[in-house]
Amino acid sequence: MAMSFEWPWQYRFPPFFTLQPNVDTRQKQLAAWCSLVLSFCRLHKQSSMTVMEAQESPLFNNVKLQRKLPVESIQIVLEELRKKGNLEWLDKNKSSFLIMWRRPEEWGKLIYQWGSRLSERSFCGYLKSCGLVVRRVSRSGQNNSVFTLYELTSGEDTEGEEFHGLDEATLLRALQALQQEHKAEIITLGDGRGVKFF
Amino acid sequence: MHRRGVGAGAIAKKKLAEAKYKERGTVLAEDQLNQMSKQLDMFKTNLEEFASKHKQEIRKNPEFRVQFQDMCATIGVDPLASGKGFWSEMLGVGDFYYELGVQIIEVCLALRHRNGGLIMLEELHQQVLKGRGKFAQDVSQDDLIRAIKKLKALGTGFGIIPVGGTYLIQSVPAELNMDHTVVLQLAEEHLLKEGLAWLDLQAAGEAHYWLPALFTDLYSQEITAEEAREALP
Repeated sequence: MAMSFEWPWQYRFPPFFTLQPNVDTRQKQLAAWCSLVLSFCRLHKQSSMTVMEAQESPLFNNVKLQRKLPVESIQIVLEELRKKGNLEWLDKNKSSFLIMWRRPEEWGKLIYQWGSRLSERSFCGYLKSCGLVVRRVSRSGQNNSVFTLYELTSGEDTEGEEFHGLDEATLLRALQALQQEHKAEIITLGDGRGVKFF
Repeated sequence: MHRRGVGAGAIAKKKLAEAKYKERGTVLAEDQLNQMSKQLDMFKTNLEEFASKHKQEIRKNPEFRVQFQDMCATIGVDPLASGKGFWSEMLGVGDFYYELGVQIIEVCLALRHRNGGLIMLEELHQQVLKGRGKFAQDVSQDDLIRAIKKLKALGTGFGIIPVGGTYLIQSVPAELNMDHTVVLQLAEEHLLKEGLAWLDLQAAGEAHYWLPALFTDLYSQEITAEEAREALP
């Protein structure tokens, strides 16, 4: 359990747990809920949840305040998150979902940037160690570096990166997003999978 | 043709049967009443024993006091009933609320020129605590509400108006009551439409309206839901 999660002021505001009839107020309310769900899941490193879990979680159920967001309203919040690209249903019945505090495209971008930096650095580093002078010509140079999924999330080289420790489901979606942009290709490596950056 | 059930004879028979059932019914009800009465007496005795054992606790502890009051209410005992008797003599609970009532009146009178006889329960609570000093017994918002209800029953012109999730205490004469309450309730609906108030459907009783502006001003980070809930009787 993560330490000292800071609840926003709305969490102690009883009407926050009633879907507001006024349209403008409701917009603000839903935005606040989306933000709260994402920061809560981020801090508690929760990447997936069932709707039943959600109902009883302190996230939607403030026991001290004696208020809980009713399940119909929870569904509305989840739908908002889905529209924004932060949520994906894991089954047809919409009973469990993947929650990504960063959208897959955003993760993809971060991972790709890291990938480019690393290979460039190590290639240039090698050349320099050979006594050659290196002058960078273009940013989008040859990449073609290959990493296993494990290396990306748990390797030494990614320690300190934001995506270190990322759950596999979200990582895959991030790489799929890169694949769509023709910046990467997901490949099989032995028993597991990996990615090749272009 | 001979039709059954019609004719003077049949009617007389029916009446006799009815009378017999009625008598039996009365006998049954009496039995039940006697039984219930005995049980109630026993319960009352137990409650009295409990009260004398925990007299100190009842005087000192506001939460305990609330629970005790609820227990009494379920068997129709009002420990605040004025006059002599076990409750007022044994517990002095009546004295406690009587004194509190006097303090409430004092505070309201003192501030009436400023607030026109309307004061939020929270502010009243603060003022009463100030007036009681450090060594007095702790008083909760629930205690205030009970004392004010007693005052209302005595016809002193006090009113309790639900507003913004808490209560507004009115200490002006009864004739001016109605308009104010209606206006305040209309104002709540208007504020909701303007997007200035939020609706809360999970409060006990009717729908509550909350003003975020007031919420962040009046309530510091320290105030918990406990204290907010104490405002509800």
